[in-house]
Amino acid sequence: MKSLPSRAVLCALLLGGAFAPAIADETCNSPFMSGLIKGQEQYLHVWTLGEKGVGDGSDKLVTIDVVPGSATYGKVIHTIAVGGRGEAHHMGFTDDRKYLWAGRLDDSKIFIFDVGSDPSTPKLVKTVDNLAESTGYVGPHTFYALPGRMLVQALSNKKDHGGVTGLITYNNAGELVTTTPMPLNDGGDGYGYDIAINPAQNRMLTSSFTGWTNYMMDLSQLIQDDSAMKNFGNTMVMWDLKAMKPLKVFSVPGAPLEIRWALKPGANWAITAGALTSKLYLIKQDDKNEWQAKAVADVGDPSKIPLPVDISISSDASSLWVNTFMDGTARLFDLSNPEAPKQVYAKKIGAQVNMVSQSWDGKRVYFTTSLLANWDKKNADNEQFLKGYSWDGKELREDFVVDFHKEGLGRAHHMKFTARAQKAEAP
Amino acid sequence: MSVLPFAIRRSAATKPSRSPPPATLRVATSPQGGGIARVLQALALLFCVGHAAAEDIQSPLGLPPVPAMVAGTPAMRRLGEKLFFDRSLSANGTLSCAMCHIPAQGFASNQSALSIGMEGRSLRRNAPSLYNVAFKKFLFHDGRETDLAAQVWGPLLAADEMGNSGIGPLIARLRADVEYGPLFEASFPGEGATMMTLGRAIAAYEAALLRGGGRFDRAVYGGERAALTPQEWKGYELFIGKAGCAACHVLGPETALFTDQSWHNTGVAFRSGATGGKRLVQLAPGVLQNVDIAAIGLAQTGAPNDVGRFEITNAPTDRWAYTTPMLRGVSESSPYMHDGSLRTLAEVIEFYDGGGGANPSLDPKIRPLGLTPDEKAAIVVFLGAL
Ligand code: HEC
Ligand code: HEC
Repeated sequence: MKSLPSRAVLCALLLGGAFAPAIADETCNSPFMSGLIKGQEQYLHVWTLGEKGVGDGSDKLVTIDVVPGSATYGKVIHTIAVGGRGEAHHMGFTDDRKYLWAGRLDDSKIFIFDVGSDPSTPKLVKTVDNLAESTGYVGPHTFYALPGRMLVQALSNKKDHGGVTGLITYNNAGELVTTTPMPLNDGGDGYGYDIAINPAQNRMLTSSFTGWTNYMMDLSQLIQDDSAMKNFGNTMVMWDLKAMKPLKVFSVPGAPLEIRWALKPGANWAITAGALTSKLYLIKQDDKNEWQAKAVADVGDPSKIPLPVDISISSDASSLWVNTFMDGTARLFDLSNPEAPKQVYAKKIGAQVNMVSQSWDGKRVYFTTSLLANWDKKNADNEQFLKGYSWDGKELREDFVVDFHKEGLGRAHHMKFTARAQKAEAP
Repeated sequence: MSVLPFAIRRSAATKPSRSPPPATLRVATSPQGGGIARVLQALALLFCVGHAAAEDIQSPLGLPPVPAMVAGTPAMRRLGEKLFFDRSLSANGTLSCAMCHIPAQGFASNQSALSIGMEGRSLRRNAPSLYNVAFKKFLFHDGRETDLAAQVWGPLLAADEMGNSGIGPLIARLRADVEYGPLFEASFPGEGATMMTLGRAIAAYEAALLRGGGRFDRAVYGGERAALTPQEWKGYELFIGKAGCAACHVLGPETALFTDQSWHNTGVAFRSGATGGKRLVQLAPGVLQNVDIAAIGLAQTGAPNDVGRFEITNAPTDRWAYTTPMLRGVSESSPYMHDGSLRTLAEVIEFYDGGGGANPSLDPKIRPLGLTPDEKAAIVVFLGAL
């Protein structure tokens, strides 16, 4: 299949040592991406949802200077409005880290920004606007770099706006290469959400969320609609990456969302959080080398539906930030025994919190607020910000805040770091 | 990826002039034959949505003739079908008629109680099934529209549905479109795409969404007693007898539309208004959580108040009254009622058995029924045969 990283490419990466198995956010990027920023990130790009009555109301890519000591530190230095409100959501770099793909879950548009030429001023170079019509899928969510390719996990389909969906492979020029349906047999529910690859094992994990109708719907209404609540994913899938074939479907009840592989050499496990069931699940091989998924910890009090959303694993896989949206709290879990994660720290970040990104060394942690336009809280609780913190191993200390409402920007969602090329790999 | 039901229908509907009348229709009028043929016929009938294949739409057994005014021509119906499935008719390219009236879900939607429209905004109501809609005299749950061709402009222009900001630009775009321009010209020579012809084309397609000629029709109108099981017959007897359903869901001597073309207060709206603090929420299959909705800050839903027909007439007797839906294919189109508040047909029967939702304007025909569990089950299976 043309869409796949060839064995040769994979082997070259692995044997040549060019690839340090690393996925931190920095820790959540694809392992096939070059230019991991192990030192100081310089710019933070926030994919921002336009909000009616806030500024121009349009979705935009917002760039913030995060170089300590810089005159514009913690300030918005650039924005690009892309027009319309299409449920801006997640982003991902191409393998060369020169282009940033940003998707919208409502109208299924993908915007490709050049962040390589000058990361302080991203430029929109291409818009893919025929995803639904060309693939039948809707809601491009995760953008995951493969060598020369971009693997996109969709959330829904254009037949019924339900959760049955697929993976889409584009080449780096934004041309469609192929589509792969999520498995519907052997326990598969056909749903999709995140992608996480462990190249050393030739394994890819995917998780599952819900279709357009639910992710677009008002959250209060959704939780009280039994017909809609049954349409959430309850599975994860382990794939043979090179063959792009599902190997095993795990039962992971309650919408397992973000997936992170442990980056520590030799640690072949991944972790995810079930949003509705408020549990951390571990995906690991058992004594018989068989991959299994099991619940290993509760996040907060599940009866209050705290909604664990984004997670961020430290580069040494010793700890995991877990944001619970409903109480706006960041929780740190000790992962030294991944079979029994323990919450060791918590801090309320705001009335609501969704995304968390940490630097490679874990010393800087950034938070944003928006989950989905119609899931965000209403009125005064609808705080929209980016907050930058320092983490000294004991306490989160606030460094700066960008109030996305005051700045007339909208709802702050996914974050990605950039740095000028030379600085990138410097430890 | 092609949409399967669409593709199947398309092949049946795109070559209308030369293809023979659909097998299902022939079978319906000559229900003889045995063995495998009979099984095939039964299967064909089970899925019989009589899609237009001949010049005129031929109604299957159990349905009246389709008014020629609405039926249009095969070319109009093909054009209407294309329009019905075209997401680019909405302001941001995300919603076609078929995204809320989903063919595989009874031309309604199983996805949610209330329809979700432009940018995820919640509509007040559940999307009704479009089976046999050409026969419905009062459209929408409150009966506010009476012309199927005019109805289409409702969703096309509503800001929370397909969100078009104007009529002119949409018509101009269709006229200029390389595919639509000629199709409109061929369907409506001399007129092309106009506000009227767009409506007529979609209405013509909808007029072909006929649901009839099934086991119920063969049994009740075709004299083929064995087409319904004894339990279904029992449900039928209850429906027209003890349970009093047919007082509103009317059956005629030769055809049945299951509606009295009117509206009633059955108490659904009144009942839904009263929601409590705690609620059992299904978080995953088998994982039910008793959730205090207000305590977790999710009490305020976006769904606004709904007083039904009263909003149109201002007549106090019309408070919380909704049009009587036609029940054909009803097993496909859960959840039920104008607000999708009842998830299953079993819940619907429980609702009626309990005397509906008590309120000052409750229709006198709605009363406690005293049905036994067997009787309730029989009505449910009967509804499944429609
Ligand atoms: C966003 C979802 C949505 C879209 C898109 C939509 N509908 Fe509907 N439709 C509904 C709902 C909800 C109702 C009931 C509204 C009411 O009663 O006020 C309805 C009612 C109807 C009815 C009346 C049926 C009856 O039994 O009275 C017809 C006919 C209809 N729609 C056709 C269409 C057509 C044609 C289109 C495309 C031009 C369309 N709809 C687009 C949700 C939708
Ligand atoms: C007084 C007139 C009346 C009687 C009697 C009545 N219905 Fe109804 N029925 C209605 C009306 C009006 C609605 C729509 C109510 C709403 O939307 O809130 C309805 C809705 C329904 C629905 C939901 C259809 C859908 O698509 O949502 C079903 C099923 C149904 N009725 C079955 C029955 C059965 C079975 C009986 C007998 C036990 C019965 N009805 C008796 C008037 C009646």
